[in-house]
Amino acid sequence: MMIFIWILQLICVPALSPLCMGIIKKIKAKLQNRVGASIFQPYKDIWKLLHKDEVISTDASWVFRFAPFIIFATTIVIGASIPLFASFLKNTLTGDLLVVVYTLALGTFFLALAGMDTGSAFGGFGSSREMTISALAEGCLILALFTTALSIGTTNLFVISNAGMLLSTQFFLSTILAFIGFFIVLLAETGRFPFDNPATHLELTMIHEAMILEYSGKRLALMEWAVANKFFIFATLGANLFFPYGIAHSVDTHAIVIGIIVLLIKIFILCAIVGIIESTMAKFRFFRLPDLLITSLILSALAIGLIQMQIL
Amino acid sequence: MNIFFLQFLLGILFLSIFYLHLAKKNFGAVIAYSIQSLIITLILLTSFLETNSFFLLFVVLVTLVIKVILAPIFFLRLIQRHKLTFSVSTYLNLPLTLIVLAGFTAIAHSQKFLSLTNIIPVHHALLSLALSAFFVSLFLIINRKDALSQAIGILSLENSIVAFAIFAGLEQSPMLQFGIIFDIFIWLVIATVFISMIYRHFGSLDTSSMKHLKD
Repeated sequence: MMIFIWILQLICVPALSPLCMGIIKKIKAKLQNRVGASIFQPYKDIWKLLHKDEVISTDASWVFRFAPFIIFATTIVIGASIPLFASFLKNTLTGDLLVVVYTLALGTFFLALAGMDTGSAFGGFGSSREMTISALAEGCLILALFTTALSIGTTNLFVISNAGMLLSTQFFLSTILAFIGFFIVLLAETGRFPFDNPATHLELTMIHEAMILEYSGKRLALMEWAVANKFFIFATLGANLFFPYGIAHSVDTHAIVIGIIVLLIKIFILCAIVGIIESTMAKFRFFRLPDLLITSLILSALAIGLIQMQIL
Repeated sequence: MNIFFLQFLLGILFLSIFYLHLAKKNFGAVIAYSIQSLIITLILLTSFLETNSFFLLFVVLVTLVIKVILAPIFFLRLIQRHKLTFSVSTYLNLPLTLIVLAGFTAIAHSQKFLSLTNIIPVHHALLSLALSAFFVSLFLIINRKDALSQAIGILSLENSIVAFAIFAGLEQSPMLQFGIIFDIFIWLVIATVFISMIYRHFGSLDTSSMKHLKD
C-alpha cells in the first residue's frame, strides 16, 4: 500500500501540472470572451514537442544540453518532497522546507546558466532579469514558509501539513499575512502576471521565455513541463501548508481519495485566482517589481513578528 | 463569543486598513472601508447578542446604514463625479511605508503599551491588534496626499477606536454611540463638500497643493 502511495506521490506532479496550465489558459480565454483551447492542450503540446527534432547551437556547452534534464529532475524531486494529498508520508530526507527552497533555487540557477550559455542577447537579459527577481523572491519565500514552521515548531513540510488548521488558532492573522506574501512569491517564481507574461515573446517584457528561446523539440518540452511542475508545486505548497483541509492523515484509501479530490479543488481555486489576476491587471514595469516583492517580504516579516509576540 | 472568531473579525479589519496603504485606486479603498465598517457592525452585533440590549441593536442598525451603506455611497459618487479613479501619491514610497507599518505593528504589540493592551488580559491579543489598526490608520492620514484617502483614514481611525473600546470593555451608553455616529454622518457631509471644493479649486485632490493658498 505504501509503495503504491509513494508511486502516486511521485507521478502526481508531472501528471497533473499541464492540466493546471490548461485550466488557467481556459479561464483567461473565457474571461476574454473566447472559446479557447481545451484544458488538455498542454498535454498535446508536450507530446508534439517530444516527437520533434531539435536544433542546438554549435556554441552551446554541456550546460545547455543538460539543463532541461536537471531542471525537470529538480521539479520531480520536489514533487516527491512536499505534502500533496497525504501528510503521513514522513519524508525526512528531502521533505525539509530549506531543502525544497534550495532545490528550487538549483533549478533556477541552471535555467539562468542555460539562458546565457548560447551567448544570445535575449538569453543574457532573460537570465539577468530572472536572477534579479529570484534573488528577491527567495528571501520572501523562506520568510513566508518560516511562519508556518514557527507556528508548528518544525521545518518538515509533512509535519506542518499534518498539524492542522493554523487559521482556527491564535495565528489566524499571521497565517493570512504569510499566505499573501507567499502568493506574491508564487506569481514571481512561476513567471505569471504582474511579474512576467508567459504568452509573450516581446523583448521588452519577457523574462522566462527569453531564457528558453534557444530550445526546441524534446528539451523545450521538458522546459515547458518543468515550468508547469513548478507552478503545481507552488500551488500545492500554498494550499497544503496554509490551508491543510482534507489532507489524508492515515493510510486509508477513503482518506487518500478525499485528499486527492480536495487537493484538486484547492489547486483549481488557485488556478482560477491566477487566471482572473492575469485577465484583470497589466504587467508591471520591471523596476516596480522589487516593490511588490518587498511588500511580500514585509508581510511575512510582520507575520513572523506577530507569531513571536504571541508565543512570548 | 468565541475569542478566535473575534480575532478573525479583527484580523480582517486590520488587513482592510493595511490594504488602504497599498490601494492605488480609490474604488478599492472605499470598498475596503465598507468591509471594515461591516466588521465593526458585526462586532457590535456580537455585543448585542451577549447583552440583549435593544438600544445596542438600534446602534448596530444605524452603524450599518451610515458606515456600511451611506458613507461608501457618498465617496463613490464623489469618485464618479470627478473621475477620481486613482489616488494621489504618498509622501513615503511603498517599501518605506510598509517598513513603517511593520514598525507600528511591532510597537503596538511591544511591552511599551502593555498597560493599555493588558486592560483585560484575556483580550491582550485583540487589544494589541486594535492598537496596531489605530496606528496604521493614523499613518494613512499622515502619509497620503489626497483628501479622499485622508477622509477614509479618519473614518478608519474612528473604526479602530471603536474596536479598541469594545475589547477594552469601555462600556459606552447607546445614546453616546448614537451621538458619535450622528457626528460622523455630519462630518461626512461636510468632508464631501470640502473635498469637492478642493477639487474645483485645484483640479486634483492633492492636499500638498494647498500651500499655494498663502499667496
